[in-house]
Amino acid sequence: MKKTLTIIALFGFALVFAQTAANLTEFKENISKQKVEAKKALKPYRYDGSKVTYFNFKTYKQVKEVEIYLFNNTDYRFSFNGKSLPNDVTIKIYDEDKTNPKRILLTEVKGVKGKNLVVESKDLNATYKSKKSGASRLKRVFVDYEIPGVTGAQNKKPTMKERGAVILVMGYKN
Amino acid sequence: MTRRIKIAMMASASLLLLGSCGGSEPDDNQVVDASDTLEEDFDVDLFESPEIDYHLPSPLQVASIFKKSGLEYNTGVTNSADNSGNYNDELSQHLNFGVYSADMAYCVLNEQANEGRIYLGVISTLAAEIGMEAVFANEDLMDRFELNIEDKDSIEILMIDIHERTEEYMEENDMQHQSAVHFAGAWTEGMYLGVYDYEHNGSKEGLGAQITEQMAILGNIIKGLKDPRNDGMELGWVITELENIQSTFDAFASVSAYYEDESADELTLSDEEYSSLGELIKALRSKITNG
Repeated sequence: MKKTLTIIALFGFALVFAQTAANLTEFKENISKQKVEAKKALKPYRYDGSKVTYFNFKTYKQVKEVEIYLFNNTDYRFSFNGKSLPNDVTIKIYDEDKTNPKRILLTEVKGVKGKNLVVESKDLNATYKSKKSGASRLKRVFVDYEIPGVTGAQNKKPTMKERGAVILVMGYKN
Repeated sequence: MTRRIKIAMMASASLLLLGSCGGSEPDDNQVVDASDTLEEDFDVDLFESPEIDYHLPSPLQVASIFKKSGLEYNTGVTNSADNSGNYNDELSQHLNFGVYSADMAYCVLNEQANEGRIYLGVISTLAAEIGMEAVFANEDLMDRFELNIEDKDSIEILMIDIHERTEEYMEENDMQHQSAVHFAGAWTEGMYLGVYDYEHNGSKEGLGAQITEQMAILGNIIKGLKDPRNDGMELGWVITELENIQSTFDAFASVSAYYEDESADELTLSDEEYSSLGELIKALRSKITNG
């Protein structure tokens, strides 16, 4: 009896293990496909790189921040893909990092879940100049992902339905 | 080992790690402050990004920006391909992979396709040494280069493909922390090429401003190099040199004045400051390329 129970337990563990692996593999493969989609939205801008921000929805709100440099009056395009999101997140772009209380909000994007959205640096620059007198251009921006709290989320052992990612692909005008 | 098994192992490791964390959790309405949890930047969970992250520009973009700023092509200034055989340890191979990537971008953008082709060969060889042979395993890269050698735009697109393949390969194989080492080499070479032109072809205002602007990236390069997963590479001296460049720059009177004046728009260094910064860049570049 003991032996049978051990075999069942081991079998059960192996099944869960294999399922988790399969789910994570699928998650990663979807992200690769979504990155291709985000890259297409950059055209005719030249691809410069990507940044996938992974997170797990938790019972409390989180903020993840990505710093991006803008050089020499170059025009940039940022393509956000939210097709790996189980819940929506808010994207806010600022001129300074989140430690600076005086930072300027340049744009706010909601409803990225299931979509691919594009933001242009020239629009961010226009907002920046309108909000900061005497400023000529942005030299960097900070992309903040505001990840809302989710009731009942497994904070310590996240399940697949709590895993999410936003794919950001960047390009510049040549 | 297949990728699926590796992912499963990493997933279970991360689940075990997450399960073993005993710290208290924030309230449901509280936002987790990254400055309080900086150590989490190096968590093992591949599906949990750090709270504070950054994107560094590709060598092609950096070369393109320098060119737009007035950088001219100078023959014989790039790191000779003949030196590639001298890089026998892991650190010098990673650093010079970055150096040669910057050199290739510089040559391609300045229509020196033959030089660029030589650097593609060197980069492929170094990639094999540092465990990234798969990026260049497909022989069509060199064939495409040969086929399009007269077409600058096609060669640039080829370079973007290489950059993207490298980026994907490093992400899939959990090697992203090493990209800071490549970037440290590429950044140093880019700055060196800028400083050389600034010193030899007359002080160009746009180029000087671009050298200054590139300093903004340095803090994140240093942060990337300090990732504990890079510990085995004995990066201490590189970090020390880069921190010295950073602190020297921060101590310049022009830099202090720039940050004190909220209305200041562009940062321009004095001739002495450019010279001082240039000497440090040249010294570091020499150490890196000498292996």
